Amino acid sequence: MKNSIAKHWRRQVSAWVHALLCGIWWGPAAQAYSFNMIVPDVRQPAAISGGSACPVRAHQLTTAGSIAVQWSTVLNTNPVTILTQNQTPSGRLSEIEQTITQSLAVWTGVSGTLLLPRTLTPLTRTATQNPCGADGLNSICFDQMDMAFTPGVLAFTRVITADVTGIQIGGSAISTELGQVLDADIYFSPGDPNTTFATPQAFPASPKAYDLESVLTHELGHFLGFSHSAVWSAIMFPYAPAPGTISGTRPTTHQPDAPLADDDRTGLRVLYPDPADTLHQGTISGRIIPANPLALPAFPSGVTGVFGSQVVAVDNSTGAVIGATLGGWSCVAPGPAQFDGAYQIAGLPVGNNYTVYAEALNGAANPSQFNNALTLLCRNAMTDAGWPPLQACIVPSVDINFTTRTRPGP
Amino acid sequence: MSYVERRRFLWILFLMALTLLAIAANATTLARMRFEELAQQATAVARLRCLDTKSFWHNGEIWTDTQFEVIEQAKGALQATVIVRTLGGTVGHLHSRVEETPVFHPAEETYLFLWGREGQPLRVLGWSQGTFRIARDIKTGAQTVTQDSATASLFDPQVRRFVHEGIRNLPISIFQMKLRKALQGDPPR
Repeated sequence: MKNSIAKHWRRQVSAWVHALLCGIWWGPAAQAYSFNMIVPDVRQPAAISGGSACPVRAHQLTTAGSIAVQWSTVLNTNPVTILTQNQTPSGRLSEIEQTITQSLAVWTGVSGTLLLPRTLTPLTRTATQNPCGADGLNSICFDQMDMAFTPGVLAFTRVITADVTGIQIGGSAISTELGQVLDADIYFSPGDPNTTFATPQAFPASPKAYDLESVLTHELGHFLGFSHSAVWSAIMFPYAPAPGTISGTRPTTHQPDAPLADDDRTGLRVLYPDPADTLHQGTISGRIIPANPLALPAFPSGVTGVFGSQVVAVDNSTGAVIGATLGGWSCVAPGPAQFDGAYQIAGLPVGNNYTVYAEALNGAANPSQFNNALTLLCRNAMTDAGWPPLQACIVPSVDINFTTRTRPGP
Repeated sequence: MSYVERRRFLWILFLMALTLLAIAANATTLARMRFEELAQQATAVARLRCLDTKSFWHNGEIWTDTQFEVIEQAKGALQATVIVRTLGGTVGHLHSRVEETPVFHPAEETYLFLWGREGQPLRVLGWSQGTFRIARDIKTGAQTVTQDSATASLFDPQVRRFVHEGIRNLPISIFQMKLRKALQGDPPR
């Protein structure tokens, strides 16, 4: 299947990279979608650490009723930051709750994943003033002042995971899987009169407000384990749509996941794959390597490919970005991550033709410093005392001295 | 590859590079907080060198305090060392993450647009938007500045191109000039 896709896609190289695209992959592929990653603590027994320093994705459990979410009914009244059409106290709460339910349904409405409506327990309310915090309960807060807020920050999601299993926070279940999210809370900016959010019902009459559903759907992506996407049309694009505009289109009965872009759907299928899904089994993988090996960074040693490259697959028939990833590494147990330029875009519909675009992170900055998808791919004795040398690595910097060349695959 | 083929190949590379430079120069940008807005809203703007970081529990959350040495002040009154607090960090086996919060490493230098209220620790204004990393070319020693929020290229499916926003690889002298200009437009505090 992988080969049949690879034979048909057209290759295109963009910017200062040389994309060597391979139809056949020779080892476990990079798990480098824009996901929140964590390296297990291999200093601990393999029974709880897995024994491998390969990064794992943060994720929620998908068994029935495994995800519980509560929301705080405490709302700011001066200024009013959540705008609703219905102005009665109970009507306001119902309208907000409907928006939250709808936003959750957007993600559970994606086909080909194990994230299903039954994965979530019914949404609950809490009248607690400040329910957000590392207490093992997933909460959404609209009026909880948090010291982290500054101008320019509309909302954020704080996700806590553990690097071993058997960990519990407050009322959370004891973790049974590496990367399991123990607590994820969504904070909305509570006290800025210039920052208001409107429910879909209130939105048409609130041109200066941000769309609550768009922002919430984005934050729920973080809640599920996503990092940010570099695709403009994706709900996981870092910036909220401007006031008075929405991301994508509103969900409908026929298309419950409408606000999502294909990139979001593909990511979700990679994060929560359904083994029974036969449609989205396509994979494009390869390596991004510099034509001039001297362009590779001298430090750390062992870097054999471009790290931090952005790879995008465009569906030729629709022109839509079907999947995008931050590539540049692979990992085979027991680790550590190898910086070989590898990328993989999985969860693609089979039988389609794709064009792949690639670009290195063309910056002098170290990608390990700014993106959770790349930040913690490595641990070593400098970051963690007593870390075993054979499972240690250092995230390389980006070298921008690349030449460009295209090379056909097999 | 023959000499002629190699030469033709290098020419193609050169032309592609020129084309892509043009594309990048005309790229659409997303303005969240303009540079001038950052300069205006910041409590302080300074060039800082990271000394140390420490993560800890506080009020039910994991926070990270980063201690910086102040190298150069462009706005505000800072002491010789300052502490900047960011949400998230690692304590024991627990890893708390928040997208777009900057992470700093000892010895690295950055320009930070800081924001704070009285009695509270300093924070980075707009998180990744208010963080400008300084990189030094090993060979030439030339310094450039890149905004955290500008490091990733964005893919615009309509034009099928990667586009860039924000400040990337700007020579430090130009960045400083830009900063001075932005601060001059700032009403007196």
